[in-house]
Amino acid sequence: MGTPLLQVRNLFHHFAVGRGTIEILHDVNLEVNEHEVVAILGPSGCGKSTLLRVIIGLETPSSGQILYKGHEQHGLNSCAALVFQSFALFPWLTVQQNIATCIANLPLDPAEIEKRIKHVIDLVGLEGFEEAYPKELSGGMKQRVGFARALAVEPELLCMDEPFSALDVLTGETLRNEAIDLYMSKTSPVNTILIVTHSISEAVFMATRIVVMGAHPGTIRAIVENKLPYPRDEHHPEFIKLSQRLHALVTQTMMPPALEVPEPAPGEAVRRLVPQAIPTVSLLPTIGLLEVLENEGDMDLATLTRYVNAEFTQLLLVIQAAEMLGWVTTPGQRVVMTEEGRRFLAADVNQRKQLLNRKLRELFVFDLVLQILDHSETGEVEEEVVLSQLAIHFPLERPARMMRTVVAWARYAELFKFSSSRKMIYRQDAVAAERKTATV
Amino acid sequence: MIFTQQLGQKERPYGWEDLIVLGGLFAAIYGIVMLAREWTGALRPVAEIHSEIQYLPLYAFYSLSRGVIAYGVSFLFTMFYGYVMARVRDAERIMLPVLDILQSIPVLGFLPGFVLGLVHLFPHWNIGLEIASVLMIFTGQVWNMTFSFYSSLKSVPPDLLAVSQLAKMSWWQRFLRVDLSYAATGLVWNSMMSMAGGWFFLTVSEAFVLGEHDFRLPGLGSYMSVAIEQGDTKAQILGVVAMLSMIVIVDQLVWRPIVAWSQKFTEEENSAAARSWLWERIRRSRVWGLISQSAGQIWRSPTQTAPRKSILAPRGLPGPWGRRAMTLLLGLGVLWGVSKYIHTLTTLHSHDWIDLVISTLTTFLRVMIAVALASLWTIPIGVLIGRNPQAARACQPIIQMAASFPAPMIFPAVVGGMLALGIGLNVSSVLLLLLGTQWYVLFNVIAGASALPRDLWEFSRLARFSLTHRWRTLILPGIFPHLLTGWITATGGAWNASIVAEYMKYRGQTLSTVGLGSSISIATEKGDFHILAAAVGIMALTVVSFNRFVWRPLSHRAQTRYALQ
Repeated sequence: MGTPLLQVRNLFHHFAVGRGTIEILHDVNLEVNEHEVVAILGPSGCGKSTLLRVIIGLETPSSGQILYKGHEQHGLNSCAALVFQSFALFPWLTVQQNIATCIANLPLDPAEIEKRIKHVIDLVGLEGFEEAYPKELSGGMKQRVGFARALAVEPELLCMDEPFSALDVLTGETLRNEAIDLYMSKTSPVNTILIVTHSISEAVFMATRIVVMGAHPGTIRAIVENKLPYPRDEHHPEFIKLSQRLHALVTQTMMPPALEVPEPAPGEAVRRLVPQAIPTVSLLPTIGLLEVLENEGDMDLATLTRYVNAEFTQLLLVIQAAEMLGWVTTPGQRVVMTEEGRRFLAADVNQRKQLLNRKLRELFVFDLVLQILDHSETGEVEEEVVLSQLAIHFPLERPARMMRTVVAWARYAELFKFSSSRKMIYRQDAVAAERKTATV
Repeated sequence: MIFTQQLGQKERPYGWEDLIVLGGLFAAIYGIVMLAREWTGALRPVAEIHSEIQYLPLYAFYSLSRGVIAYGVSFLFTMFYGYVMARVRDAERIMLPVLDILQSIPVLGFLPGFVLGLVHLFPHWNIGLEIASVLMIFTGQVWNMTFSFYSSLKSVPPDLLAVSQLAKMSWWQRFLRVDLSYAATGLVWNSMMSMAGGWFFLTVSEAFVLGEHDFRLPGLGSYMSVAIEQGDTKAQILGVVAMLSMIVIVDQLVWRPIVAWSQKFTEEENSAAARSWLWERIRRSRVWGLISQSAGQIWRSPTQTAPRKSILAPRGLPGPWGRRAMTLLLGLGVLWGVSKYIHTLTTLHSHDWIDLVISTLTTFLRVMIAVALASLWTIPIGVLIGRNPQAARACQPIIQMAASFPAPMIFPAVVGGMLALGIGLNVSSVLLLLLGTQWYVLFNVIAGASALPRDLWEFSRLARFSLTHRWRTLILPGIFPHLLTGWITATGGAWNASIVAEYMKYRGQTLSTVGLGSSISIATEKGDFHILAAAVGIMALTVVSFNRFVWRPLSHRAQTRYALQ
């Protein structure tokens, strides 16, 4: 096969956040060969879009190498094109002008430019829409323009950043099929595709190789070959088998087996909690999960995903939250409600609050906040203080995002309160503080 | 060419639209010749102003040319300052506060420097005086345009910038296709506001006394000020009519077409799209086809000719040492200026300072009362109009006209009426400030009221809210962010307007009352530059610190608590 089209070697990438930095990509190594469709699959926030932008040259990595056809690449890769999730069309240019803008600066004579525009418009089925402005088009048509614009460059490598996730399900399905047709067709210039996605079925449907990424920081966890012949059928047993394997892989990367907590030595007065981040989801879907399990019985992950029709990685966060609260366990690929979960579901609103209140006190983050509050004389503490503590204990998380979840859960459980106008956290029983807020 | 000709526009026969476009071209050429004659003429500090009606079109033309040239300067300034502020790293840290301060300096604060400097530069030509007048109009126009351009540039979607990078656009192409296009809607709207803002001080910008020197340039502003001084009622009415006609004509011939054209830059499809009869005609003319074709050429040509690099591209920036050196130089310059300024202030006596403090407090009180009074009538009326789309559509052009009319032109008439009622300038100047600034509040209240979600409104009806309850829980919090914007603009405008509201020449006599505005006017007229410097400094400082310590916390609160997502 010779040299791969693209090689990524020892890639690291950091972002500056406030005074510190957050590691987005950690030691990423990847190869893409010609005539491949490579899907990068991972939960939101795992740095997969950043990886794509680094590969195409829109961002410069903190360290590491990108080799294109064996040569180190600096700056933009002019043999690649990008399709955006947000379409990124110029609202003030017509369909035709949007396409023309992207190749106007290539060393082509006007006749060739005109020919190419005609060709790609024909290829993606935009005839008749040449003079339309993007605001007159539906989402699916807009993304067709996005494709046409990328194809007009005649790229050796077509990159796509979640190109179908801003579209409704049916439209996404159509465009996905069309993209594969383009890849298979002899008349289109595309023969190598790199697609970023969070959907397992999309990856299995399109890719010849699937790269599974994990978050915090973004690393490659596994690479899976997909030799199923095109066109692929979602109901084919092999398709389903591969999907389930990927489900298991993604679950493993997102929910590592629980940390072994050493039993407290006898006589040890201070209870030590493991600093474990809480998944940033709201409580209502988590309780909703219990309702589903109650009605439908315990389920395996794949069935559950299909049943609730949710984004898989988002669902995993919800399950993670439920597990942390002791409501479910996840033996193997199954989600099983616990006795505690059943009790919670059976309780009325006030009892639920009490149950949750007790449970949250056992979790590290909430224990941390309560301890800070205990040390405060006024029974209240500034948001900033808690934020900085969160940043120390969870260097890989965004403190503000975690703070929102902590506050939301604590409010529900009546564990402590938060005044957004004063940016203060205060004890549930701090009457004086409460009165102060009321008068502000 | 692919941009304009792809679908083979049908060959259209030349029509009367082409005649209009061509006629417009010839008229413009004649106008430029006339202007050149006036500008290169021998220095005539005090132009003779004729009160006959046949001179009015010429005066209107002179004033309009000054406004247009000033607008051109404002546009260039905005492009440069706004771009550097938004795109050069760290530049906004210095440039934003500087713009804030410049914005708060009243027009008379710039006057002596401009006039003396430029007349000195061109001792025998009128051009120095003309440039000074244009620059004063410029200071009334430019700031909000720059702010608008800057904030548009800051909010260009990163994906669009990525596309421009991938398409290997040159700096110039990215500027036209991405930056300027994205900013176009806001820029057009603010340009309209700016033209109106420039007219506000037209009387001051064209006719002023500086020390022993009297300056007067032919134009509508001078015409009005002469008419007022002589108490010529007929001429005053003629002047007002001429001014109004000029505003209407410019609106119909310039702004409507531009607004209609700029609709293509908005992202949403607008159901109530602005239309312009003129734009429809022009677009259909063949001459326009030729013009827009050559515009397409401009867009393409720089790629082939100019190198890709540009001084403003990030890589063209000086290195860290260069930056430090620049910062140091800048710092030294500022330090020198401040020390000079303080040195000027030390020559003032303590009683001057006491006078100035009293004046400041008085004007402060007037500004606050004026804004309060303005709110009192504009909030209920504005909500009423804003809740009724039909009324809003009917009222908008009228209000817009009223707002663009420079209120100082009718100040003397108002004062005359008040004097007849036995009310002195002390009180009536509050009314004048009100006249000048109420529109800002009204505009924003209407915008806020029409943005109130219908669901909330319907809920308040279902829940049978009483009138006061509805105002307290729905309307006032709902329009608060908009109202605040209106208040900020209105107070800033009122401080500036105090210059013409607290001091004026009327029927051969001079009227004035205690206040910072009259202090500035008197100091300018007497050529007392020390007091002028102090008073202008105090005004700028007051406006800036009021913005920082009152308006900014309030708007933060408005954004966090009262924003309707």
